[in-house]
Amino acid sequence: MSQNVAPQSTVSKNSTNQGPPFVDSNTVSKRLQGELMRLMMNPNKEVSAFPEGDNLFKWIATIQGPKETVYESLTYKLSLTFPSGYPYSPPTVKFITECFHPNVDLRGNICLDILAGRWSPLMDVHALLISLQSLLAEPNVSSPLNSEAAQLWPNQVAYKKQLLALYDKANREDKPDTK
Amino acid sequence: MKVKIKKWTGVGTWSYKVDYDNCGICRQPFHGCCPYCKWPGETCPVVWGQCTHCFHIHCMAKWLKAQEPREQCPLCRQKWRYA
Repeated sequence: MSQNVAPQSTVSKNSTNQGPPFVDSNTVSKRLQGELMRLMMNPNKEVSAFPEGDNLFKWIATIQGPKETVYESLTYKLSLTFPSGYPYSPPTVKFITECFHPNVDLRGNICLDILAGRWSPLMDVHALLISLQSLLAEPNVSSPLNSEAAQLWPNQVAYKKQLLALYDKANREDKPDTK
Repeated sequence: MKVKIKKWTGVGTWSYKVDYDNCGICRQPFHGCCPYCKWPGETCPVVWGQCTHCFHIHCMAKWLKAQEPREQCPLCRQKWRYA
């Protein structure tokens, strides 16, 4: 399993490194349009993503919890923000839906190596969402952002109980706001 | 009938000997150019690493700059050395 990196390092890296020079937003837009097209044509309905409003550089993604895991039948929304240097720099990804997971903190920041130091420009949104989906089922409990989740993980019965309680609570709190 | 050739014009074609059609970084074909160039050919060549993976030279240069001070092939993560 790959090595995890604290999300803080992603943030600081993105703010100091605005990507390589000579990038023009038109080229990045074209790239994102192509990715959006491929995602929409993709028959895999377990992950999806679409730009938020008119801004092509900010997307909302949805992933389904992997089958036959404690996350089965749960749906998570994420926000993706693309830097001007994409795909040379990774997008900033955060959970919008509260996610009880060893490698996700309470504000939705994600600790995943490919979102920081092990990013590759060969990655794309689809590959990223598939990676996040498998992170749900295969957390790295040795470098947790949520230590409660990490400690509970070995006991899958208790973990699922806590996971569902928090998921239901978060969704109940969300509902009145969206009305 | 006897034919006398007065003039002839040779036409040649060429293509890169690559295992895949598109540059993995920009997703554009190798026989085209990177998204930052207008014309394919000598001004936007393909470059190989010793790991045998290849990309548009401009795409690779941008990636090496973006991941400074590391210099890894985006595909196999071995140290990038131009072949």
